[in-house]
Amino acid sequence: MYKSAKTTRRKFLLGSASAIGLSLNYSKPAIANLSDTKPYRSWEDLARKKWTWDSITHSTHGTNCTGQCAFNVYVKNGVVWREEQQGEYGASSDAPDYGPRGCQKGLRHSKYMYGKQRILYPLKRVGERGQGKWERISWDQAMLEVADKFLDYNIEFGPESVTCGLGTQMVMKRASYASLLRFANISGVQMPEAFAGVGDLFTGAQITFGHVTLGNTMAEIYKSKCCLIWFCNPAVTRIPDAHFFWEAKYNGTEVISISPDFNASAMHASKWLNPKPGSDIALAMAMVHTILKDRSFDTEYIKEQSDLPFLVRADNLKYLRETDFDTPEARDNLFYLWDEATNALVEAPGTGTPTAPPGTPEHLIKLPSIELAGIDPAIEGEWTVETKEGPVRVTTVFELTKRRAAQHTPEMAQEITGIHADIIRQVARKFASAKPSMIYAGYRASKYLHGDLLQRALFLLLCITGNTGKEGGGLTITNLAKDDAVFPFALSNPAAAFRVATLSRWDYVHADMKELNRDAFGEELAEEMDKYFQESVDRGWFPDYSKVPWKMGMFSGTNAAAWRSSGKRWRETAFSKLETIVSFATDMGITSMYSDYVLPIAHHYERHDFHLEPRTPYMQVIDKAVEPLGESVDDWTAYKRLAEAISKKAIERDIQPIDDNVIGVPIKRDFKKFLDDYTKNGSIKSVKDVIQFLLDNSSGIQSVSYDELAEKGFLRNKGSETTVHSKESPYYSDIWESVHEKRGYKTLTHRQQFYIDHEWFFEFDEVLPRHIDALVNEGYPMKMIMGHARHGIHSMWRDDSFLLSLQRGEPDIYVNPKDAEKKGVVDGDLIQIFNKTGSFICQAHLTSGVGQNMLYMYHGWDPMMFKNRQNFGAVVQTAGLIKPTSLAGGYGQLGWKPFAYEPNHTFHDYTCDFEKYQGV
Amino acid sequence: MGQVAMVMDLNKCIGCQTCTTACKSLWTDEPGQEYMLWNNVETKPGPGYPRYWEEGGGGYDANGDLNRDGLMTTKEDHGEEIPLNHDEVYFKGVEVQLQQERPMVKGSNWDEDTSSGDYPNNYHFYLPRMCNHCTKPSCLEACPVRAIYKREVDGVVLIDQDKCQGIRECNKACPYDKIYFNYVTGKSQKCIFCFPRLEEGVAPACARQCPGRLRFVGFLEDENGPIHELVYQWKVALPLHPEYGTEPNVFYVPPMLPPTFDDSGEFSDEPRVPTEYLRSLFGQEVDEALITLQFEMERKQEGKESRLMDILIAKEWKSLFNIPNVKIY
Ligand code: SF4
Ligand code: SF4
Ligand code: SF4
Repeated sequence: MYKSAKTTRRKFLLGSASAIGLSLNYSKPAIANLSDTKPYRSWEDLARKKWTWDSITHSTHGTNCTGQCAFNVYVKNGVVWREEQQGEYGASSDAPDYGPRGCQKGLRHSKYMYGKQRILYPLKRVGERGQGKWERISWDQAMLEVADKFLDYNIEFGPESVTCGLGTQMVMKRASYASLLRFANISGVQMPEAFAGVGDLFTGAQITFGHVTLGNTMAEIYKSKCCLIWFCNPAVTRIPDAHFFWEAKYNGTEVISISPDFNASAMHASKWLNPKPGSDIALAMAMVHTILKDRSFDTEYIKEQSDLPFLVRADNLKYLRETDFDTPEARDNLFYLWDEATNALVEAPGTGTPTAPPGTPEHLIKLPSIELAGIDPAIEGEWTVETKEGPVRVTTVFELTKRRAAQHTPEMAQEITGIHADIIRQVARKFASAKPSMIYAGYRASKYLHGDLLQRALFLLLCITGNTGKEGGGLTITNLAKDDAVFPFALSNPAAAFRVATLSRWDYVHADMKELNRDAFGEELAEEMDKYFQESVDRGWFPDYSKVPWKMGMFSGTNAAAWRSSGKRWRETAFSKLETIVSFATDMGITSMYSDYVLPIAHHYERHDFHLEPRTPYMQVIDKAVEPLGESVDDWTAYKRLAEAISKKAIERDIQPIDDNVIGVPIKRDFKKFLDDYTKNGSIKSVKDVIQFLLDNSSGIQSVSYDELAEKGFLRNKGSETTVHSKESPYYSDIWESVHEKRGYKTLTHRQQFYIDHEWFFEFDEVLPRHIDALVNEGYPMKMIMGHARHGIHSMWRDDSFLLSLQRGEPDIYVNPKDAEKKGVVDGDLIQIFNKTGSFICQAHLTSGVGQNMLYMYHGWDPMMFKNRQNFGAVVQTAGLIKPTSLAGGYGQLGWKPFAYEPNHTFHDYTCDFEKYQGV
Repeated sequence: MGQVAMVMDLNKCIGCQTCTTACKSLWTDEPGQEYMLWNNVETKPGPGYPRYWEEGGGGYDANGDLNRDGLMTTKEDHGEEIPLNHDEVYFKGVEVQLQQERPMVKGSNWDEDTSSGDYPNNYHFYLPRMCNHCTKPSCLEACPVRAIYKREVDGVVLIDQDKCQGIRECNKACPYDKIYFNYVTGKSQKCIFCFPRLEEGVAPACARQCPGRLRFVGFLEDENGPIHELVYQWKVALPLHPEYGTEPNVFYVPPMLPPTFDDSGEFSDEPRVPTEYLRSLFGQEVDEALITLQFEMERKQEGKESRLMDILIAKEWKSLFNIPNVKIY
């Protein structure tokens, strides 16, 4: 019937030009000609008609997935029909381009937005909390009732008794985020932050650099010559960007996936290393040891950029400081080097300069130059210096680091990690020689109790190889757009003083997490942790949250009760204290289910906003394709309605202004003026005005009106010619400037600082990074690893019927077949995972992609989808583990600083076990 | 006149199912189509979608005779989309746990990431599948009413929805099980290679929307296009199960997984995916293809040029699509 393919192929191999010419004549007329000679197929027209639409809107999904993929949203017959990636972006600096970013969740949104989980009307609880019995009420009624309670608590307990939690649906939508901050600033409510709050804060970066937003665009991966994918699975969690890794591999980059489980990223890597869960510090330190021993380190870089040549007293192991000498007005932040050029002690350039007063905006902090200007610091050696206490032996941080690394030989690391010592050496050597080498890190690196040590080990590895601050080198975690427009907008009245609470500490106090520590880890650990917790308050290093009761919780774009470690326990403890819970949400979920009021929020294609995500060099619009469903409104409008109700009630009840004080700033809060404050006396009429303010005042973006941006969809940021975020871009470039312009770091030593001679760091032997085993529970052999899901973003889209059909229809957990066999479990069985503090039930998915004594589960599954509404959080008994050294203060870069230095909510230090579920 | 074709580079496929979803929301979102995934992605080795399709028969035997006795797949073999009890739990408060209205038996991606072999030398990879728009389509030959035709202009194989009588002989004859029965209209349906888009110079949804940037679209005969280069010049793109005899026009660049470990824990030379398994999928040619890929990748590692790697990297996204009047927007 058809020509044999063989003939055809031979012909083409011979290059029959005429055949090719013909085949390419694939334009409209060719089709028309074809229909002349062939029977007309009317059904084909039906298919052609199906691919038509009434209008296209440019938008994206504001979920903090880090994608911000440009979409065309197609509207047909008044509803969103489907979406498709908008198109060609263009490339950065000789790397692959960004087309066509997107993922299956995004492509599913057109259907999900009409799903039955949508909250369409304001709801007031009529049954028990969590029962799902509601009364539909009007926005007016809801807001007035909420406002009344809000005022009651403010008057009786003060603004601190109310929290306003914001989550992943909020943080990246610039205007929504700014609106909520503005509301919070006017009201003075507490905002428990969700950076360290979800265990994502790189405290190790703050310790080392005094700066945590490290990261450039994703195209930078292509510029690296050796890329370690560590603590993450970008093939699953960074779907729009994963291609850069394999493209780099094709381009000659050694891409090494380091992960206990064989995941989709390991599959495509040049090499896969499988350290035992929680053993990564040993691996990193063994690599450091290898490089130091090989002497393949980057001496010049170390001398200039790090504290490794700084002198340390051998007697007390403290840095040698000016205060060690009999100098009038000696400074304790002046440090020393041993200059090999003159064989003499010299002051370390840039040290000893006065520190900026607290509260100085980041970008206004003046930093000294660290240029060595002729000094040639010794990195190795021992000398005697004459101090006010007499002669003292001194050595360098580098020497001490060598000693520390020697406690982590590859052989020792093999014992801990299970990775062969030769492989560790091989990878270390590749990493040292590749230039540039990078670590593409995931947030799993901050979810261990000792995540900071882990990160410090990684930074040390990057420093001795001279990689931090190079294009294609260094550690990539995230960057954040500067808040140079958001803060002026949000914090303009009544005064710039809003309250951010450290979430882990907030929970510790308000959800009784000391109790949990006791149950999970025993009295001794609970008391020890508590001692440091209290001491950090007593010494004024961290604020005290125990003075004011928690009365009212408002949750915006966050499913707070879904992801807390300790699971149901948090929900039960925290919520039992809350008299009023209000949720602003697009879709139902556990947090809304247990709320007293639920307010409907407009979904992604039903609102105006814009996005700045550091993964690409673009700014992306969120535009309204259709009117919001039901009575849902955007966040600006929701909070405006609440502001209006507060003013109205305050006037009605004649509530006088209350006195408040935020970190020393006295403020009068006049609730009658709430609406005027919020809308700037009516001058801000809608979210579009908020957006325009931000567009007009943000640095690093093109000057554009919202409507023009919406017309285009995305616009390239300034300073984005290379794959690195430059000074001109909307993102932070501090590390780059330190490395290339020799501008001091925001640390005590103004260097990448690896040596922390704080008293608490001595107590815990953390002055230099070292391996510490993750906590385990005796008698519970299974280590459960978790990560972001493939078929959902956090808890969003997890309950979409189609996406579930691409999974197992319910939450599942990966189990090694041999472990399963031992327990009489077969694929598809329900199993119960348990430890001392709780248990949950889900489906066993057998795969040898995980090793024995290892379980892997995607996080984010809403507890509503589990029996007893108890998800994996049940066994993640780490909510009370608050690392003492992360509470240290009074030392340079250490001390409470929201989004920079505060203890993470930890998620990985525990073990569990499982058995076949016997119930039905 | 021409044959439109696709090459999928399995070394870039991350199993994200964006292609599946893209196709679904464009073509199979109507009643009767719930279970259909014209494009699906399955974990290999594994039973795939529909389950155990490779054991279902169809295609041509060694003599070139049509095998009409392939299995007729049912909805259940595919798994389906089942609604959840959202209303009952969330708004009526009559049920407690949010779940599917009835449990899913098995689904199209049930074995996602189900690895073969023993940890840490286990192996699996993702295989996106669609109708191969075969040069010798057994579906077409099997149809007693000649409802199936292969367009001359582009070689796309289509089922005329006006002519189809729902006899489902095609379903049995397609060895790839890429024919679906619409239980509402009573007609057989399948991938149409997005011909309406193709006619406008827009690549098929599964390819254009693939964030992995791995699905090349173009005419097999076009010597200047990547497809021709990958299939005929570099010979690294191979048809799936060539032994089925239908001469597929979808080709795959075979997967290269990271090295395994020997008993002492050092890297071993034993390939992670047994070559025998790859041969069973892509034929003997896979050996040569893997050598070529490895060789060219090493050239890049040594800092040399490689045209093959450059094609596969596809620095410019648009370079994946070599179709007439190509439009990206
Ligand atoms: S959900 Fe995120 S990653 Fe997926 S398409 Fe939308 S913006 Fe892109
Ligand atoms: S969209 Fe692309 S990367 Fe994702 S599963 Fe399909 S073919 Fe693979
Ligand atoms: S894959 Fe099956 S349905 Fe498609 S053309 Fe070939 S035989 Fe026909």
